[in-house]
This record gives sequence, structure tokens and C-alpha cells, in this order.
Amino acid sequence: MSITLVNPCIEQKPQASRAPRLESLAGKTIALLDISKPGGNVFLDRVERLLLERCSVTHVVRETKPTYTKPAPEGLLEKLRNVDAVVEGLAD
Amino acid sequence: MTRQFVSQTSAAFRIDVDSDLRLSRVYDPIAVPAFVLVGPDGYVKRAQIGFDKDELNAIAAEMGCLPIAEAHDGAPQRKPGCSSRHLEPFAAIPSAEPLNLYAPTGARASLIDVAEDPYEYCIREFGDPLPVVPPTVERVERMMTGFNPSELIGRIPPCYGEATVEKIAANAVMAGCEPRMMQVLLPVVRAACDERLNLHGVQGTTHFAAPLIIVNGPVRGRLGFACGQNVFSNVSRANSTLGRALQLILRNLGGGAPDGIDMSTLGNPGKFSYCIAENEEASPWEPLHVEMGFPADESAITLFAGEAPHGVSEHVARSAKGVLTAIARALATVWSYRACMGHDALVVLGLEHVRTIHRDGFRKQDVREFLFKNTGIPLRAFDGVDGEGISQRHSYREITIDGERCYQKFRSPESIGIVVAGGGAGKFSAVVGSWATGPRGSQRVTYPCP
Repeated sequence: MSITLVNPCIEQKPQASRAPRLESLAGKTIALLDISKPGGNVFLDRVERLLLERCSVTHVVRETKPTYTKPAPEGLLEKLRNVDAVVEGLAD
Repeated sequence: MTRQFVSQTSAAFRIDVDSDLRLSRVYDPIAVPAFVLVGPDGYVKRAQIGFDKDELNAIAAEMGCLPIAEAHDGAPQRKPGCSSRHLEPFAAIPSAEPLNLYAPTGARASLIDVAEDPYEYCIREFGDPLPVVPPTVERVERMMTGFNPSELIGRIPPCYGEATVEKIAANAVMAGCEPRMMQVLLPVVRAACDERLNLHGVQGTTHFAAPLIIVNGPVRGRLGFACGQNVFSNVSRANSTLGRALQLILRNLGGGAPDGIDMSTLGNPGKFSYCIAENEEASPWEPLHVEMGFPADESAITLFAGEAPHGVSEHVARSAKGVLTAIARALATVWSYRACMGHDALVVLGLEHVRTIHRDGFRKQDVREFLFKNTGIPLRAFDGVDGEGISQRHSYREITIDGERCYQKFRSPESIGIVVAGGGAGKFSAVVGSWATGPRGSQRVTYPCP
């Protein structure tokens, strides 16, 4: 004998998929997004240097979220739409 | 829909649907709507991005037509438009359906036929690991009596699941709520979706924070909320089930799974249930909701993203200053002892402490100001090893407490919330530390409760 239950959970499924992976970083523009946690700049400074020196990245764009506690504002997301890939840096 | 619209116009030119974005790529507008007028020679004569009545009328005039956009036809004078789809880097990937955050109704819940033991099924599929009452159709309908099942109360961050009356009721059934608890739970869900509370951050943080519900007003007596002995514990069905219903909703509709999006390092026992009521009858001061502007004879609920309560014992002091100094020392440790100006706290004063403090003539505001002026971190604590809070010391305020130079802990007296609760015996109070606060963190919110 079965019992019928009302589904108490979220039902809409997010459709967003992962962005395609880059085959190479050479010649690409990469954004580094600092989420404003302490130490984020230390980590991303190093990543920037490695990207430019070792991976032949053409250009690194640095952006910072106003606060790590909230989603990035639309204006900031807009700036990130024109790069080839984004590295989001947590820290602490 | 497009064909129907076109048939209603008297357009004499060809109309194409740019579903593969080919035309968008050719003309490359940064936003849509976009208007591009191409001359007989094939060159672009005029282009306009976004919507602008003056521009449209100028184009009409240039083509020898009467104005086409009237000033007061209900449409705005101008709108900037949205980013053109062809500029989205991965337009080939289907994007999520846009959320209508202001829709008045949501979808009805699906039904699930369960052939196995429903208790085992619910533990595995829904909710926290404790048993729940299976949300059968009959129980959920009883919970929704008098409400519209499709009414959308809010969307629960961070996954923004639709919290319709029906979904809320299903979680309320699971938590063991009585049907009349819906009158409190719906305002609680509204408050939880208030952007000031910033549930998006609270649900994802590695910190301890969980929304604590504080119930005020006559609804406490009507629904049996406990505000005395063991107020933070398992003392009444009302406190335990309301708190649990909210936590189940955060997990089931918000997606804050404790093994997933909820990244809390150590967690918080309040994530099973975290709900207290103020002991207004034993308090000589105005209750929390009256401070927030609500009439004393109306009910309200407050949400505060807090840590687990930290106990303060003071059984020896016989003066208000003695008791409050002990509480101030506990307040100094909120978040981390050298971190100042960034956090709030809720002080839950036990009844014996309240009696001592009130006997010395302190009003509630006096208590708040005493705690504000006497909570600080000695400057000498900043001379030792490096640590959290030190790099911001240039923005801290220096004050003197008991003859010693200190940095003031809180931004303002209003950073300290005060509630009276607990049983009649025991000289204890509690400090509940906040998560990040202010407009960039989580702010306490109070909502009326009919």
C-alpha cells in the first residue's frame, strides 16, 4: 500500500551548465575576482603573476566584489562577461 | 505569439525572428531593444539602442511620419534595455529560467507516491536527519485551511525555491506544527526573505549563524510559546516546531543543505530549531517589538542571524553595574576579541539579573548604553601577536573603561539588542553573537504577525 506525500522541496531545477573549459590560456584575457575576504589580494597577486609569466595570458583583469557576504552586483557581472575565463578568489 | 502580434500591425516590410541570433551578430547592438535604419544603399542611416520616445519620434519625423510614441501612453519615456543575447559568452548553453521575484503565485507542489515506510522515506529525502511527520495530502490541506495554496510568500535564498503557502505548509507538517501556527510561520518566511536579513549569505557562510526567531505579543499566549525556564531548549511544542519549520524551509526550499551549500565550519545546534519568546510579563521594560515600533497589544516576530547562546553567570554581584559588567566582558568576545565595530549581539537577560538591574533604576536604554560604553578591548591586547581585528584598528574608537584605554567594541548602542527571557531561578543571562552585520552583512528584521 502506498501513501501520497506533498513534495516539500524546491522543484524548479537550475538549467545553467558549466562554461566550456579553455583548451589553452595563451592569448586569453582572464579576470581575477577578489570577493573582499582578507588575504584575497595576496592569493590573486600570485595567480596574476603566474598567469602572465607561465601561461602566456595576454591580459589580466582585476575586479573586486563590494562584500563577500552578498552576490556580485549586476554591473560587476557585466564587466566579467567580456573575458575568456574568471578565477574567483576566496581567502582568509 | 510573434505571428499573432505581426498580424495586428500593418507592417509593409519583412519581419524575421532572429532565433539563431544571426542578425544580432551582424548589427551587433550592445543592448536590446535596438533600432537600426538601413538606407537603400545598404548603409546604416541611424541606430538607436534601448527605448527612447524622443528618439523614436525623431526617426518617424525623418521618415516623414507623424510621432509614434505618445508622451502619456503608459510606457516610460526611456528605458536602457537589456544586454543583447548574442553578447552572452555562452549563448549556446540554455540559461536558467529568469526568476520573477514579484510573482503573486507559484506552482502547485508535485505529489509523491511512496510505497515504503514513509518515515524512513522522509528522513532520507527531505529535511534534517531527525524523523518528521510525513506531509500527506490530508495533513497539508488541513495546515492550509483558510489560505490560498498557490500564494507565493517569498523565494528562499540562495537557491530561491518558491515558498508557496502549500510548500510552507508541507514543511510545517513535517516539523510537527499545529495548523494555527501558519499565522506565525508565514510572517517568519516573509521576514526570512527580507533582503536586509541577507539569507543568501547567512545560508552559505562558514560562520555559525542561523536565524533565531524571537516571538513577541499576545500570540505567545494564544499559541503556547514558552518564554520562561529553558526558553532556548525543548520546552514547548510552539517554540520547537516553529523553529524547526523555518530550518526545514531553509534547507528544503532554500537549498541550504548542511553537506552542501551551507558551508558552516562547525554549525549551530539552532539549525534543528532556534526560537524563543520574550518574557514580557516578567520584564519591567518595553518588549522588543514595541522598541521596533509595533503596538504592545499586537504580535510580531524578529529574526536575528546569530550564533548559539553564550552563557554569562553572575551570582555574586548585587548591583546593576556588577551584573552588566559581567555581560560586557562576554560581549567583548563576540566574533573575535580584537574585532571591533563590525558585529552586533543580542543580550538575553535572565529574570534575576533583570530584577537587580531594574532595582538600581536602569531603563532598557540605560542598559544598552551602559553595555555600549563599557564593552571594549584594552589597547595592550593589540601589542602582542598578529591576529584578526588588528589591521582595522585605525578605524576603531578609543574609550576609557575602568581607567584603561580600550577600543570600543560596537558601532553604536543599537548594535546591542536586548530581550528578557528565561526562568525565575538562576542569575544567568546569555549573549548571542551575530554574523557580519550592517548593510553589507545581515540586519535584524521584525515583522508583524496578525
